[in-house]
Amino acid sequence: MTTAATPLAAAAAPVARRRPPRPVRRRRALMAIAEHSLLIAAAIAFLAPLVFIALTSLMTDDQALSPDLWPHPAQWDNFAEVFRQAPLARYALNTFIYAGLATVFMLVSSIPVAYALARLRWRGRHAVFLIVLVAMMLPPQVTVVPVYVMWAKLHLVGSLWPLILPNLLGDAFSIFLLRQFFLTIPEEYLDAARVDGCGELRILTTVVVRLAKPAIAAVGLFMFLYCFNDFFGPLLYTGESPEHWTVAVGLAQFRTLYQVHWNLTMAATLLVIAPVIVLFFLAQRVFVEGVTLTGVKG
Amino acid sequence: MSRDLAAERARARRRAAWKRRGLVLGFMSPWLAGFTVFFGYPLLATAYYSFTHYDLLSSPRWVGLANYEYLFETDGRIWPSVANTLWLIAVAVPLNVLFAFGIALMLSRARRGVGFFRTVFYLPALVPPVAATLGFVYLLNPATGPVNIVLRALGLPDPLWFDSPTWSKPSLVLLGIWGVGNMMIIFLAAIVDVPRQLYESASLDGAGPLRRLRYVTLPSISPVILFAVVIGVIEGLQYFTQAYVASTIAGGSAAAATEGANSLGYPGDSTLFYPILLYQQGFRYFNMGYASAMAMLLLVVSFVVTALIVRNSRRWVHYQGAPAR
Amino acid sequence: MRRAMAISIAVLATLALGACGGGDDSSKDTANQGSPSSGGGEPVDLTFWTGFTQRELKVIKKVVGEFESAHPNIHVKVVGGIDDDKIIASIRGGNAPDVAHSFTSDNTGAFCPSGAWIDLAPYMQRDGISDDIFPEAPRNYTQFEGKRCALPMLADVYGLYYNQAMFDKAGLSGPPKTMSELMEYAKKLTVRNSDGSLKVVGIDPMDGFYENAAAHWGPSWGADWIDESGKSSFASDPGWAEMLQWQKELIDFYGHEDLVRWQAAAGDEFSPSNAFEREKAAMNLDGEWRVAFINDETPDLEYGTAPMPVDDDQPDLYGSGYTTGNIVGIPKTSEDQDEAWELLKYLTTDDHALAALANGILNVPTTKTSLESDELDLDPKFRVFLDIFAHPETRTTPITVAGSANQEIFDAFVTKYQSGKVDDLQGGLAEADEQVDAQLANAGGGDVP
Repeated sequence: MTTAATPLAAAAAPVARRRPPRPVRRRRALMAIAEHSLLIAAAIAFLAPLVFIALTSLMTDDQALSPDLWPHPAQWDNFAEVFRQAPLARYALNTFIYAGLATVFMLVSSIPVAYALARLRWRGRHAVFLIVLVAMMLPPQVTVVPVYVMWAKLHLVGSLWPLILPNLLGDAFSIFLLRQFFLTIPEEYLDAARVDGCGELRILTTVVVRLAKPAIAAVGLFMFLYCFNDFFGPLLYTGESPEHWTVAVGLAQFRTLYQVHWNLTMAATLLVIAPVIVLFFLAQRVFVEGVTLTGVKG
Repeated sequence: MSRDLAAERARARRRAAWKRRGLVLGFMSPWLAGFTVFFGYPLLATAYYSFTHYDLLSSPRWVGLANYEYLFETDGRIWPSVANTLWLIAVAVPLNVLFAFGIALMLSRARRGVGFFRTVFYLPALVPPVAATLGFVYLLNPATGPVNIVLRALGLPDPLWFDSPTWSKPSLVLLGIWGVGNMMIIFLAAIVDVPRQLYESASLDGAGPLRRLRYVTLPSISPVILFAVVIGVIEGLQYFTQAYVASTIAGGSAAAATEGANSLGYPGDSTLFYPILLYQQGFRYFNMGYASAMAMLLLVVSFVVTALIVRNSRRWVHYQGAPAR
Repeated sequence: MRRAMAISIAVLATLALGACGGGDDSSKDTANQGSPSSGGGEPVDLTFWTGFTQRELKVIKKVVGEFESAHPNIHVKVVGGIDDDKIIASIRGGNAPDVAHSFTSDNTGAFCPSGAWIDLAPYMQRDGISDDIFPEAPRNYTQFEGKRCALPMLADVYGLYYNQAMFDKAGLSGPPKTMSELMEYAKKLTVRNSDGSLKVVGIDPMDGFYENAAAHWGPSWGADWIDESGKSSFASDPGWAEMLQWQKELIDFYGHEDLVRWQAAAGDEFSPSNAFEREKAAMNLDGEWRVAFINDETPDLEYGTAPMPVDDDQPDLYGSGYTTGNIVGIPKTSEDQDEAWELLKYLTTDDHALAALANGILNVPTTKTSLESDELDLDPKFRVFLDIFAHPETRTTPITVAGSANQEIFDAFVTKYQSGKVDDLQGGLAEADEQVDAQLANAGGGDVP
């Protein structure tokens, strides 16, 4: 981002150091209080659903349907019950396999593409970038059926491969993000490497990847999360094979034919969200930086 | 002598050029393949299907323009579904942008506990959409949901939320606002990035906080606003999961299993969005040819709307020294 | 936010209240009663997909087991919790079962013409089975435009359930027989809480609640979906308008919002918290299977069953009702069609099998002979439904090429009308007619009318 250096800034500096008069201070304090209260109110509103979900997960089935807001007694067993009713561990394994492989494949394929769009010079790269953008805008409904039919003919329906394999061919969103980031790498680094006789591939793997670690981490994280939350993809391709279900599908199918056990469903929801939240706390930096990359550099 | 040298150099340059093209092709090959297989081919296939009658169980049968005639002239449910989608976009996008921006603004000015607040506002965005929708349907149950219990205790009116034709879309909007965390973080980063000097010179010119907001903050982050709006509109045009989950859970009982009758659009077609109708036509009514026609229309509209927004944005979006594109 | 643009078309939208099992019903081997291949034919493995789960699934498995002992070379894997989406997806994906069972006849119009389920006529002819061993309604909902690709296996019949204890307390004798009686009883049996909200509802006619649908209430007024020319008849058949007005009057008596609230607190239809079983509803329109559920979940409930009341002006209708049924067919991808046919034949025409199924699941058996069978060991409350099934005026919904499009379009209109959003009833009905006709024309691949 540019920094507007104004001569005024220098002159203003000593002025800003003096304490502002009382009425101004009071007004500022009041505003700060008002803003903080708003923030707290909003935070309560945002947390409330999660709190209620947590409370419900500890209720009995009847209590969940009653006007009671607080579970008594707290059914901690609900969480164990969820595991008894559904093989969450198996679903988690499936999910990790799917997310892990998809992320790795995506990185391997998307980084070169993004690099080519950002840093190699060739005719038509701007046009191709626009096409990449257009692909992102494509409503999924337009492509799902023919693609499904294709996978069915390959007899891969019933597994997660139809979701994993396409990532070997790049992912539009990741390409977009990576390209935006690669654009910010100063040309000097690359030229220096070129002068040293490195081929573009070497440059990519040694120089660029190292410099782009935050972006790569962010893109990988997003992909992982996306796969974790992906519902209709796994449902579409593994819906009939419960042994391949992911966590998202398992959660949705958690209701039996006859009824929704809201208490168990909410417990299952919490169990599903938990690893993501833990991941968030551990990798907050990456999250925030990555999310920033999407919008600010665009 | 020099001609040979020139020719030699020309050949070398051509070789280099070919080598470069080969390199580019090599790097781009994954995307090229992916584009053809997962974009080009399906797009063409869907375009083809739109001129056929295709029930997904037997081969497509050519019907010419019949589907498009039905789409534009006779289907009485198209217009309500379009209206619903437009309503959602018109209401949800501004509200989401507003909340994301507003919360980000407050966060940027907060002194304490920024990390805590940031987590609180971002967490809901991590919840899988299916789970979030289930949660909200439960929370907004008109009789037993905690929200209405609290409202009644406070003496406030307790609407029927997902069970009311007037409140069903607002309920979905609320669900959307709850998940605004991603956008909020982007706004936050952008706001924080605005150079202090701009604010200082503005306040020296006598601008109060409101005018600073209007003339410094907003223009500076206008690219992000554009981004948020475009993403919001595209999502609105494809809105499906939450409406699907909410209408089937709130509207149906397990009776749907025995009768196959679905409650999509419950209550009374108020949540029948364009993608939902598309799904219904293609997968419930065995009318995939028509659904493909609907998909083509959606594609065209997506492009047009995005193009319009981006073009209109030139008027109010200021890029600060954008890097060479 | 990234990719919050979800991949939206789910072929298997089993999130819906479609029969999604909690994962507990994917097959275990059926109880194999005989020892394997004691003779005859190569061993064949069949897969049989059914919508039943839990208690009802056990009954099916037992009956299939009896088939296996009669055919020692055939081994059947039974998978429960299946819905139509799964069946359709599997046919496309190439991993369809050999025999498929569906809870609904709505999709017959898609399965038959497309050949997704094979034409059974050749087999029937070979084995000398004529289709008039089935009563008229099931005969009709298992074929489309002359192509028969399914056979009925158990039918569902709808009638009135009423709480005897509440009747006694209110001094009401016997079930209501006319619609005005029903209205009167319903109002009398309604109880409100001190804050005005509904505690007990006489009967809830709101579309979408439990089994309420236009198709199930319509027969009380003798309303037909199509006229002789095959066009939609919501406007031309006066029964529909009368039904809508009757329902609206009752809903307005409760208060539309109050009723919605009461519904939101009513338990799930198939859970033990069912509103009728929990005595929150004095009367309810429900199917014959409810008897089994009550026996299982709330055996102490004092209740009675009867045919639904009918239009005061059409007393001859009394005793009839609505029926629809389960259908069974053979997906075209099956590699063992001969053996699959044997299983299908057993499940749908063998009186013993049908009696076992009927007794176990308490659905209505679907051949004329099985209805008379001595083996039927039935609760008198259940017999009411057999009589309704046999009544000549009992109706079913017409099969269409577009699945349940006609029903969904009309039910959406009914919901709107019931919530008071429609001013011109007749005009709205005519519009619904147009929509249905246009939809079916388009889905049939023809030109728009």
